Amino acid sequence: MTAKVTGTMVNYYIHCKRQCWLFSNKLNLEDNSEEVRIGRILHQLKEEKAKKKEVAIDNIKIDKLTPEYLVEIKKSDADLEAVKWQTLYYLYILREKGIDRKGKIEIIDKKKENRKIHYTELTDELVFQLKEIISLIQELIERPIPPLPINKSICKKCAYYTYCYI
Amino acid sequence: MAQSVKYLITMGELKRKDNSLIFRNEKGHRYLPIEGVKEIYCLNEVSLNTKLLDFLAKAQVTMHFFNYYHQYSGTFYPKEQLVSGRLLIQQARLFDEHRIIVAKAIVQGIANNIYSVLYHYYSHGAKELKPLIDWLRKNVPGLLSSSDLKINQVLFIEGTIWKRFYQSFKYFLPETFLMNKRVKRPPDNPMNAMISFGNSLLYAKTITQIYHTHLDQKISFLHDPGEGRFSLSLDLCEVFKPIIVYKTIFELVNHRKIQVGRHFDKELNYCLLNRAGKTAFIKAFDSRINETFQHATLKRKVSYQTAIKLDAYKLIKLCVEGQAFKPFDFREKC
Repeated sequence: MTAKVTGTMVNYYIHCKRQCWLFSNKLNLEDNSEEVRIGRILHQLKEEKAKKKEVAIDNIKIDKLTPEYLVEIKKSDADLEAVKWQTLYYLYILREKGIDRKGKIEIIDKKKENRKIHYTELTDELVFQLKEIISLIQELIERPIPPLPINKSICKKCAYYTYCYI
Repeated sequence: MAQSVKYLITMGELKRKDNSLIFRNEKGHRYLPIEGVKEIYCLNEVSLNTKLLDFLAKAQVTMHFFNYYHQYSGTFYPKEQLVSGRLLIQQARLFDEHRIIVAKAIVQGIANNIYSVLYHYYSHGAKELKPLIDWLRKNVPGLLSSSDLKINQVLFIEGTIWKRFYQSFKYFLPETFLMNKRVKRPPDNPMNAMISFGNSLLYAKTITQIYHTHLDQKISFLHDPGEGRFSLSLDLCEVFKPIIVYKTIFELVNHRKIQVGRHFDKELNYCLLNRAGKTAFIKAFDSRINETFQHATLKRKVSYQTAIKLDAYKLIKLCVEGQAFKPFDFREKC
């Protein structure tokens, strides 16, 4: 069952449940914002530099895997909480496959926090919470209609803004 | 999204050159950087090859072709990037169950926007327009509110609106530009030539906007699906005709930027814009559709071109979430 959920869906679920529903139901609107474009290009540049491709396991894609860490690269720390859960989800999938790593989040352009590198580790308590989130996501995306827009300031930078508020 | 559009008006050859585009004609060559280009219009004989098409497909550029008579021939439609099976099913279901509701909304939208255009001339002295603008505002909603209308009755109301609109031109346009009736394929006088050309450009614009959404171009509501064209584009461009095509024409005519003697080629049974006429028309059309306004609900600036895409989003919202569909209204700016 858990195979259907991706890391991006976990991230979006924490960030905005409507975004998660729309994305999961393949209404992934065009990434037409400058922010998204910068993010994508930074991702490509990093990849070329590291001479390492993304690691794809089942339906999750991991930015980088080192002997000690699983690395998630993000343009900004706008929603670090969502990135943490996304990273934890990857760690959890890896652990299920018998691969144990710690999580490392690299922020290219820090804004809110004063650190560029953040660490996280999977604990039994977090695994428990993660399982709960996964089942909530599955329940959410099966709904016939998406949740209503959340009307927060984060909406203004979202690729779905024009769709949600038209 | 960058909205840059390239119009190729002269004969020539368009090629991929490294990671850029190059257009060669008798005068020389010109680079067209691909970055930001979303659409290319071929309004003359242009040679191209598959290498170019592959490049355009990667950049998700739609390319529209027009024949000698300015008629729309077709679009190079790169493979769909946005596909949602769920939405397709809902769009088809919407057609089956609520076609009339969407069709009525579009016709009401046409009436509203024609009203806005004519009200401008009425308030500037064309008092003869009073009966028509009153009819558009007061009677049309009544005609459309009848609950047992069939689609051909809705189409009849639409036809009446356009006909009365054409008949009103005599109150605010110079006599040289009046037409007896709307004639297509081929147009037989300057006004018809401009309407046909403008409608074709707007139709192509709408195709591009819908391409960048998940909607299926073949399932339409006002027009019959399967008119041999992308009929949803015909639907969604309809409410923008008064404010994009006709306002462009009226501006060109009343400001004497286009003149009967200088900007048309007249033959025995048809009339077409000549090269200078096309250039002037495209310039005015392009600046109008790229003009931005403060959107009433989004609280940000959007262009009319984007407003077409937003209408497509509204239709998606009707399909997915059941939110009522109200096409773009020029007066309300949303």
